[in-house]
Amino acid sequence: MPQFLKGNYKVETKIEDKGDAADSTDEFEKKALSRLGGSICFVSKKSLMWQGEAQPKASRADTEDGTAKARHDARAGAERPDGTGKENRQRP
Amino acid sequence: MLALVLRGRMELGKKIASALEAATFDRVAAVGLANAERNRPRIARSVLDLRETQLGAGNTALIVGAGPSLHRRRSLDRLRASTFPGTIVAADGALGACLRAGVVPHVVVSVDPHPERIVRWFGDPALTEAPADDYFRRQEMDPVQREDELRANRALVELVDAYGPKMKVAAATSAAPAVVERCEQAGMELYWWNPMYDDYDKPGSLSRRLWEANGLPCLNGGGNVGTAAWVLTHAALGKGRIGLVGIDLGYAPGTPYEKTQYFPELVELLGARHREAFIHTENPVTREMWFSDPAYHWFREVFLEMAREADCQTFNCTEGGLLFGDGVITSTLDAFLETAGLEAGKDHHG
Repeated sequence: MPQFLKGNYKVETKIEDKGDAADSTDEFEKKALSRLGGSICFVSKKSLMWQGEAQPKASRADTEDGTAKARHDARAGAERPDGTGKENRQRP
Repeated sequence: MLALVLRGRMELGKKIASALEAATFDRVAAVGLANAERNRPRIARSVLDLRETQLGAGNTALIVGAGPSLHRRRSLDRLRASTFPGTIVAADGALGACLRAGVVPHVVVSVDPHPERIVRWFGDPALTEAPADDYFRRQEMDPVQREDELRANRALVELVDAYGPKMKVAAATSAAPAVVERCEQAGMELYWWNPMYDDYDKPGSLSRRLWEANGLPCLNGGGNVGTAAWVLTHAALGKGRIGLVGIDLGYAPGTPYEKTQYFPELVELLGARHREAFIHTENPVTREMWFSDPAYHWFREVFLEMAREADCQTFNCTEGGLLFGDGVITSTLDAFLETAGLEAGKDHHG
């Protein structure tokens, strides 16, 4: 391009390419922001749980295999260091 | 000063929060995937296998997070004094408070890939002097840590060693190998899951590659371990009534900014303008003015987005904090515990 764009005058102001500085700022910004992030990702507009392709797709409101609907009766209650959990969970 | 903070009209803290979905990926994806590879030989069970184990009774669960309301409202003492029959799921940061209060959770959730910090939540047998990292001393999450870190750590080592065999760990494959080793050493059974890193429907998805490699379900973690515990309890354990304590997603009134989790990072990012990043919000029930930083604001927005669409009832029993909105029912802890007892009674008697 410079071979086609030739001026017939000289400018006194020296124009510096600030590309590297901008890249450096962006990099700093990205790095600093990443330190503010969480400990685990969030993926917006996706289900709470994904178990691969073998499972039928479900809405975001549930898991992708519908497992949230598969309520199950657990068999015991909270345990405590003093072992009182079993008595407590028998109480109606 | 960053260009980011000078652009647009949005409040500074919220503006930064809007960038944190991508920023979190930058923060955890590489180390999380590396940890998944290192943890691979230890992976034997999926979190879905937890459904077949001995947990609490019925459809109700209580998630315990490490937010300041846990201590302010004495939530664990009240839980301990109750006859709550359901499943107790603790974030790793709340494990020490649980055990000291006499509550042994059925499941402890751990996700953070940080190589050194997280093992402290389980008691670090190798810790012989107070570390230069003031992460634990600085924050309000566990007041015991502020007083004498070494003594608190020793006591926690003993408690986790004593009750480890009674607890199960829902470990993300991203968890630091030091945490995994510590859990195994304490006799805790490990059940595994993958953090969802990205859209599994997109070509080249890391989540998909991870699932293909180990076959474990991918959970959408919501930014933090407390939210991940809620996702796990609903989606993997199948619980439909979930109470929350210590999940404040904010800082209590009067907390100095210097004691907040991300303070050094905010100063580094914003310099003299770091105070502008904090977002103050009144709790509609207690009328207290709590506040968040960009990270906690993002966690709150994400939680509400997920809760609105989830097929479960979520009860905020923290009696404080910033987690309120559509999809979250505010309740006192006592009312939640009482109802859970009555529900269990109905189930028991048919």
